[in-house]
Amino acid sequence: MDDLDRELGPYEPVEDFSDFSVDNSSKGGTNVKHPNVNPTMCLETPRETGFHRSTRICLEQIREAILHHRWQEAAEYMACYPQLLEDTCLPLAQQNKELLWRISINILHHHPNSTMEDYNNICERMKHSGIRHHLMICLEHSFHLLLHGQAEDAKWQLSSAESWRHGKESAAQHQRAKLIQAYRSLLDYVIWCDKRFSNSNNYFDSDNQGMHNNFRQASLNLKEILKSPGVWDSFILSYIDMLELYDDHEEALKILNDYAYNNNFPPNPNAHAYLYRYLKRHDASEKNLMRVLKVLHILVPSHELMLDYSTLLLNSENEADIQKALGIILDMLDFTCWRTNMDVWKCLKAVIQRLEIQEDWENFVCEKMALRKDWWPALHFTSFHASKDLEENPELWKVKASLEKVLCPKQTLKYTADCVTNGKRT
Amino acid sequence: MDDEYTAGYREPCSQCSAVDWGITDECHFYCRSCHNVIERTRDVEDTGFVQGGSNKISSIRKGSKKKLERGHIWMVCEGFQFILRNQANALLRLGVSPQFKDDVLCPLWRLFLQRSRLAYTSNPVKSSKFRVQDVNSYSDSAAESSIMSASATDGESNPPSVADSNAENASDYSGSMDVSSYLSARLRRKRSPLSMMKTLALIHLALVWSREALTLSDLLRLVNEGHVPYVNAYEQLPEEMKVVGKDALLFRVESIPSHRVVHKEAQALVLFLQLPAFPPVTCETLLHPELLSLRYLTDTNLPDELHLWVCRLMEQAGMADQTLHTFDPHSCPVLPRYDVQTAALIIVTMKFLFGLDDQTEWNLSNEVGNQSDSGDMFNLRRWYRLMQTALMRAQQRRRQDIARKQWKAKKLIFPKNNGAKRTMMKKKRIAEQVQLCFEKLSSRPAGVQEVSPSSFRFCWGDEEGSDGPSLHHMKLDGVVSQKHNLLTPSNSTYWHPGLKKCDRRRCPSSHYSDMEPTLPRSFVWLLQLFSFLLDVKPSDLYEEVLKVERQVIGTKTHCDVSSRKKKTRTSARTKSSPRTLERTCLTGGESGKTVSDSS
Repeated sequence: MDDLDRELGPYEPVEDFSDFSVDNSSKGGTNVKHPNVNPTMCLETPRETGFHRSTRICLEQIREAILHHRWQEAAEYMACYPQLLEDTCLPLAQQNKELLWRISINILHHHPNSTMEDYNNICERMKHSGIRHHLMICLEHSFHLLLHGQAEDAKWQLSSAESWRHGKESAAQHQRAKLIQAYRSLLDYVIWCDKRFSNSNNYFDSDNQGMHNNFRQASLNLKEILKSPGVWDSFILSYIDMLELYDDHEEALKILNDYAYNNNFPPNPNAHAYLYRYLKRHDASEKNLMRVLKVLHILVPSHELMLDYSTLLLNSENEADIQKALGIILDMLDFTCWRTNMDVWKCLKAVIQRLEIQEDWENFVCEKMALRKDWWPALHFTSFHASKDLEENPELWKVKASLEKVLCPKQTLKYTADCVTNGKRT
Repeated sequence: MDDEYTAGYREPCSQCSAVDWGITDECHFYCRSCHNVIERTRDVEDTGFVQGGSNKISSIRKGSKKKLERGHIWMVCEGFQFILRNQANALLRLGVSPQFKDDVLCPLWRLFLQRSRLAYTSNPVKSSKFRVQDVNSYSDSAAESSIMSASATDGESNPPSVADSNAENASDYSGSMDVSSYLSARLRRKRSPLSMMKTLALIHLALVWSREALTLSDLLRLVNEGHVPYVNAYEQLPEEMKVVGKDALLFRVESIPSHRVVHKEAQALVLFLQLPAFPPVTCETLLHPELLSLRYLTDTNLPDELHLWVCRLMEQAGMADQTLHTFDPHSCPVLPRYDVQTAALIIVTMKFLFGLDDQTEWNLSNEVGNQSDSGDMFNLRRWYRLMQTALMRAQQRRRQDIARKQWKAKKLIFPKNNGAKRTMMKKKRIAEQVQLCFEKLSSRPAGVQEVSPSSFRFCWGDEEGSDGPSLHHMKLDGVVSQKHNLLTPSNSTYWHPGLKKCDRRRCPSSHYSDMEPTLPRSFVWLLQLFSFLLDVKPSDLYEEVLKVERQVIGTKTHCDVSSRKKKTRTSARTKSSPRTLERTCLTGGESGKTVSDSS
């Protein structure tokens, strides 16, 4: 059909999807690519033709208009810009198509008068203008349809993109094709969810066949995709959600465990969090839960689940566990995000109370605080913190004040109510 | 027919490993040897989803083979002749006198054909494909006749009309028949005997010969605004003359040549054609700086009184002489650049009157402003403010017009290769559709808005849409005074950079870019104003200003002095004291004084 030799050249990825990269490890995360815009396109060259001058200045005008959100003006210039495609200078052809595509959809996204019809129109044109960007445009198109609530159409787009083949070219784009598959399955899940909530009483009726079909289609793909290393958070959640409804716990657990512990996957704290939550939903033993959280603690000491972890540790009778809990809570409080969190401080208080029963507990606390004693007072126990806590949350102030002496016994701190009341009086 | 779709798919069949694919009625691929249907379908592109578009291309593909571009056989110079005729007709429609086409351009074109041995010659340029045979008798007589006095003939007649006789022999031929000889010649000598730019150079020569009031910058502006066909001029060729394949290299235009380049080409052409002396450009001719300067003064909203000073200056420098403005192979072998020269004259006059050293002109403006009856006195500051806003606006508009300009033709020049042709058509179609979509969205058609042709860039006066109030009637009383019964400028200093001529070959880059930061801002601004007006580079205009200064101040005595002076001036400049500038310019200033005193 097309003059393929022109279209096919040394293949270059258009863009790096760092979020969804299917194979991050092999890329080494070094080639963070910017969209492929040749800088020479924006520079005046001494032997520039009038045509190139026109397109260069037109591009500058469009960029200017877009930057200032003058969408009407941008659209006006955009009407003059497509002649760029007819550039006889072949090496730039691919790049020009991409440029035209990206600017067009950007303007259509924002222009007040643009319609879905325009958008579909441009997407179809650009899709068939070159095979290099076909899959990218399909994906973009379906996202846009989703934004307008047309999930079915979006799915149709992705399905047709999935069946798109173009000899060597589709092989070269297999990563992108995988992404398309993944999103198609995700949309299957979305549709599945809709159906599930629309007839919520009886899932396993025969008239719910459509819903089960969606499940089958989605699970088939997702199962394949989740095998390849990458960050698949939203995909895995939807897959687990479906598996749970169909009571396939074995598979779900296997998938989650694999996601969390397979060394081929990039380290992903969410994987452990998902596993933990799944186990908790299904009443797994505390030992199992703690095992998951222990790994998570190493990855993200400030994770919100650390509160759960210390609570779990507090529940055990083991003395060592209580000491561990202290370490975890102190780690959490190293981060400013937990500084004014009531629950964490309360938990710390509970831990200290439990510790006080043990022998030699003061030494242990000192040991834990040894590294922190230089900067914790400044982080938690200044007079400013005292006045602020008193004002915003007196209860927190009480808890903190009671812990102050325990944590920093040899230091004189200004975390008192005095200065505040004094200050108010004078 | 299936093969067109399956050719790109070379996977072996999973059942029998054969590579022989066909397409079922449902557009699925099937293996022809074992009838195994696979999942692959014909490209989605061809299904009905894309409305209309893809059907179009297939129908063209089918249809075109049968009635493949079968036009007349034609030669490249015929094509150019048509284009030249269209350009001349456009100029006639714009008001150029009819003699221009028949009495000047046509003989010039014939002379060109003869001199470049394309026609009217017994010794034609060698062409591998085609030999001119029966032309000889016809062309000899034409060549004999005095070219410039040839009687009016129809520009449409085809002098080398041999093509018809050979039409039967080359029935499957399309496109011009001798294009390859042009291109091989081009490769050999880096210069084709014919090019689109040559048409402009020829027209420019013909305009100068017939002493029309159109300067080169006017011509280029008309071309730029589309009033004279140039970009995609081949579209207007008759239906039977198909422009195909390599013709594109000669006929496709992707830029409008600059003033400098066309002038150079015209200069080369004038020597190549060995033209005799041109009709004299006297001071009654509109091309002569005396009248041309009037037009530029009007356009830049300068007072009419300034014209008197421009004329005085010209007289003083001996530049009013017509021989200086008339091309003559002996006395004036360089084709004058009337427009640039006139602009330079105006700039030099302004320098004499106002100093333009970033100091004098503002002091003069202050003096004028302080006088009680300054109502109709010309104030440079006021003029500068008016002009500056108008200039900014115009520059902005020009930039927008450049951005909006559409270069690509409706009628494409297709390559002979069918694959490349299809790709081109597809690109064209997509570009058109995207354009249509955005035209609809923005409800504004692409391309530059049509403007009616005008000799003026700006419009001054009270009417609506003007760039500002007119200052033409203003008096120069503030800057000139009566001394010994003679009007004398009150400014007595004149500065100028070193006037020593340098060898163009040794320093090819212009000095302007080096000099520009050290020149007074008001002078640079004036250069920019006029270079915008004429659409030439400021450096070209600067060179011309230097040339005029050399004439006015006299190169012979000042050559050494000025080069020395240039040094002192620049060193004084680094100390950045305007006073020293004035002092160092004293020599120049004295000569300036003598100019005005003696006149």
